Amino acid sequence: MKIVRLFWVVIVGLALTLSAGLASAQALNSGAQTIALNANLAESLSVTLSANTVNFALSAGSASNPGSAGITATTAWTLAPGRTSVGIYAYFASATAALTDGTNNIPSSAFFIADNAGAPAALTNTVAYGGAAAGLKLATVPITGTNRSANHTDAMTFNINLTGGTLPQLPASTYTGTLNIQAQATP
Amino acid sequence: MRIRAQFGIMAALLFATVMVVASAGAQVQNSGASPIALNAALSDSITLTLSGNAVNFTLTGGSANNPGSTGITATTNWVLKPSVNSLKLYAFFSSSTAALSDGAGHNIPSADFQISANGGGFAPLTNTVPFGGANAGLQISSVPIRGYNKTGTNSDLMTFNINLAPLPNLPAGIYTGTLTIQAQAF
Repeated sequence: MKIVRLFWVVIVGLALTLSAGLASAQALNSGAQTIALNANLAESLSVTLSANTVNFALSAGSASNPGSAGITATTAWTLAPGRTSVGIYAYFASATAALTDGTNNIPSSAFFIADNAGAPAALTNTVAYGGAAAGLKLATVPITGTNRSANHTDAMTFNINLTGGTLPQLPASTYTGTLNIQAQATP
Repeated sequence: MRIRAQFGIMAALLFATVMVVASAGAQVQNSGASPIALNAALSDSITLTLSGNAVNFTLTGGSANNPGSTGITATTNWVLKPSVNSLKLYAFFSSSTAALSDGAGHNIPSADFQISANGGGFAPLTNTVPFGGANAGLQISSVPIRGYNKTGTNSDLMTFNINLAPLPNLPAGIYTGTLTIQAQAF
């Protein structure tokens, strides 16, 4: 009987000690201080070309006058959720005088681009930029949730076809022009 | 001889009388003691102040390196009870999946938000701490509390980064969020 009583005394003592310990282990917290975070991921769309010059050694009346080098256009973007498409275009300012010696012209319809080893196509379309009937859409990239920040490459090779219209009679000269590559995200 | 004896007796009696009278006049009088109860309470406390309350980020899509516009110093001051043995500072978000959001369903998770404390390496907020959402926190510092620093102060300089490498398809937008800093003594 005495041992049982002693046992209970010890148990009660332990309980009191534990509860006192728990009470003293109560955490003390500071007030919460906040920091406002503002992160801006701006829309961007860029085109980078592997080179900026192509030369042509023309043969009068020939359909095959390839450019000296291909050029790769790398289009990179970070777009807002509303965008659904990126278009990449090649264009001249004028359909009638894509290249000129100042008097005589090579029209855009005689200038061909093969994109990513596809079939060569003349720049005869009216696109988002440049002169009427002086452009070509190189690529259309659908934008989804998986490529809002991504890139696309177009490896272009060039040819001038001197067989059409009066071009077989194109006089010997140096013809220069500027081909532009530009991308557009829509809508 | 007789006269001398009588004089001695008289002198002794006079001396005794003077002593009795003198001792009666030097007696102190004490009142009862009136106690004053003194009660001085030094409450335990933790205060936290931040050197700033806003951080901006100019993000580059897919980049791992998007540092915050400024660092922020958290200064913690405390007065603690003897039973306390550590004081820890935490940074946390309420949600691990949407630490920052554009409000249109596109989120930057807390795993891609990083804090460097006191010049250390950047660490993401991926731990479950006493405050905030599960897996949305980070312990910034821990100060052992001993007898010499029951009252003390500690400063933690935090710099911030958002790692977008795991989020290459995050759309352009303005992402906002609230990072909370809080201390706990235990």
